[in-house]
Amino acid sequence: MQTIRINNLVKCYADLCAVDNLSFEVQAGEIFGLLGPNGAGKTSTIRMIMDIIRPDSGSIEIMGQPPSLRTMERIGYMPEERGLYPDLKLLECLVYLAELKGMPRSRARARALDLLRRVDLSGYAGQKVRALSKGMQQKVQFIVTIMHEPELVILDEPFQGLDPVNTELIKAMIVELKHQNVSVVMSSHLMNQVEQMCDRILLVDHGQAKLYGPLHEIKARYGRRTVLVELSNGELFPGHLQGVLRVTRSGNQYEIVLAEDGSPASVLEQLVAARAPIARFEIGSMPLDQIFISVVAEHGKTSSVPADKEHRA
Amino acid sequence: MRKVLLVARHEFLTNLRRPGFIFMTLFVPVLGLVGLAVVSLAGGRAANLLREQFAPEGRPIAYVDHSGLFSPALPQYGKLFTQYPGEAQALQALRDRKETTVLVIAADYLQSGKVAAYSLRSGFSSQVASDSDTVRSFLIDHLVEGKIDPPTAARLRDPLNVVPVMLDQDGKPSTTGTTGVVLGFIIPYLMSILLIMTIFTSSGYLLQGIGTEKDSRVIELLVSSLSSTQLMAGKILGLGALGLAQVLFWVLSGWGLLLLASGLLALAGTLPVSLPQIGLSIVYFLLGYLLFGTLMAAAGALGTSLREGQQIAGIFSMGAALPFMAISFIFANPNSTLAVVLSYFPFSAPVTMMLRLGLTQVPWYQLLISTALLVGAVLVSLWAGAKVFRLGLLMYGKRASPTEVWRALRQA
Repeated sequence: MQTIRINNLVKCYADLCAVDNLSFEVQAGEIFGLLGPNGAGKTSTIRMIMDIIRPDSGSIEIMGQPPSLRTMERIGYMPEERGLYPDLKLLECLVYLAELKGMPRSRARARALDLLRRVDLSGYAGQKVRALSKGMQQKVQFIVTIMHEPELVILDEPFQGLDPVNTELIKAMIVELKHQNVSVVMSSHLMNQVEQMCDRILLVDHGQAKLYGPLHEIKARYGRRTVLVELSNGELFPGHLQGVLRVTRSGNQYEIVLAEDGSPASVLEQLVAARAPIARFEIGSMPLDQIFISVVAEHGKTSSVPADKEHRA
Repeated sequence: MRKVLLVARHEFLTNLRRPGFIFMTLFVPVLGLVGLAVVSLAGGRAANLLREQFAPEGRPIAYVDHSGLFSPALPQYGKLFTQYPGEAQALQALRDRKETTVLVIAADYLQSGKVAAYSLRSGFSSQVASDSDTVRSFLIDHLVEGKIDPPTAARLRDPLNVVPVMLDQDGKPSTTGTTGVVLGFIIPYLMSILLIMTIFTSSGYLLQGIGTEKDSRVIELLVSSLSSTQLMAGKILGLGALGLAQVLFWVLSGWGLLLLASGLLALAGTLPVSLPQIGLSIVYFLLGYLLFGTLMAAAGALGTSLREGQQIAGIFSMGAALPFMAISFIFANPNSTLAVVLSYFPFSAPVTMMLRLGLTQVPWYQLLISTALLVGAVLVSLWAGAKVFRLGLLMYGKRASPTEVWRALRQA
């Protein structure tokens, strides 16, 4: 059964459509990446899943049901706008928020203490939330999200404001959730930061799906479109190559994006023919944001509305 | 319902621990205790001291007698009253600040009773002096001198010494004494002040709580855990219980103080507050709190920040303060049209009714109309509050326009 099933979702505001006919599914136990630039409609989509705002049209099913307070108890949600009770003690805050999600108090207490130990914050259980550093509060926010043992976890920009050490810690905990068969939806505008974790992704732009499917398939489809070449003398790169869309140079390295009719073999042939001193030749795996840029370039500008601001309800 | 109670419990406990709440709850009885200590230690002297602040006894008074009835002054008044032969000299003495009060008794005093009282602009107490018991006795004694026997003359000066006797529920007379009468005025007054203080603190905490939740963004977690109606209901319930607990504490400690006072000051012990009156105060407290609570909740949700929410809420608070602005009118005539209107108007009804209940027999139909209107207002504010609350909750940094509020209200 799909954890989330979304069909033809639309949410429009006065001047633009934040979500424009979006359809996708999230499978049980997978890490799903909801990716796209700022203002692409990620947060609006999540807020509709969480029943915070209502869609104009389209349908949402969570574990086979429309969003309701009952389904909400099975979801862990980390909003983009992080927030805790600054004047509560850390433990109280965790227990209260978990109780509101339907967890009995005694179990919530035990689990809170356990999770705090996991993220090295057990010493702070009796401290007020406002006494914690920003990084600590971020970790606490993640704990709040998974406190009530949800079956689906939705993380809006989960690594925002985290230092590299804590980023790794949270990443490890997300992977652990996956092993416990919890579905995870992660949204991010920093695609490279989350791509290695995702099983499947949806790339959105201007509220529309641009790419959707298993990450390795997408990578395979677009990965062959680049070639990385290093020369022992960068100056000797041939001036013109057939079947090439774009060449970016950094020092002696060249990143070659192939055109529709080009192939890595033909590039290699041409380089050899031009007697370029090849030190390295690699069929590139294109980073996700590069894939995104090329997809948007291919599709052309589908919408003329600027997407510089994220819309809120 | 479980979640409503969870929120209520949370609000009750977190606000109970606020230093401000603890301070205010303890402050009121402590103040009473201090007052009691002062009164019992200083005994009658304290009261005299207070009286002297206003009472003019012992202040010298100058007078000019055009009627001839008061010349010369009787020997017992020779010290206090200085007679001047003419107005000009007397007023000059006033200007030179040798005198503070000059009375000019008209030639036709016997027919008209006219006495012009001159004082310097700043002399509030001089004006009081001209209308004092001393002046009355002075006039009376001169008028009756030699015409009636001294005891009658003395009675004439002070013809009334009221012993208030109230019939209790069984129709038996019970003498509570003057203190009882005074308490009859003071207790509803104090109760109405406590009522408004509690309504304001509880609903203020409500406002503040929502403001902080919005400011700290925790609100998005909350609305994805429970419905906005549950959230609002829980908050109102929890803080209402807190306010009620506070009032209860005050009433009980007040009762204790009163018992202590009757022991210390040997006052007659019966409390001039009846059971129905206490019952009605609880009803008015609950309704008043519900009205202000929901409005404050909506205001808190609508404001972009805590501060803005407080500004919006200030408008409602004005309504509650109305009866205090009109308090002298209500005291003077608790059944005047103004008092009746204020006890119908839902915002001012709780306080006004509290005051009137202590002062007069409020007709039952007025109680009925007033509670009915209040209940109606509470229902409307609950209904509208829940809608506006939902709308306002998720608006950060953006103010809800009147159109948006109106649209939210129409979407049933």
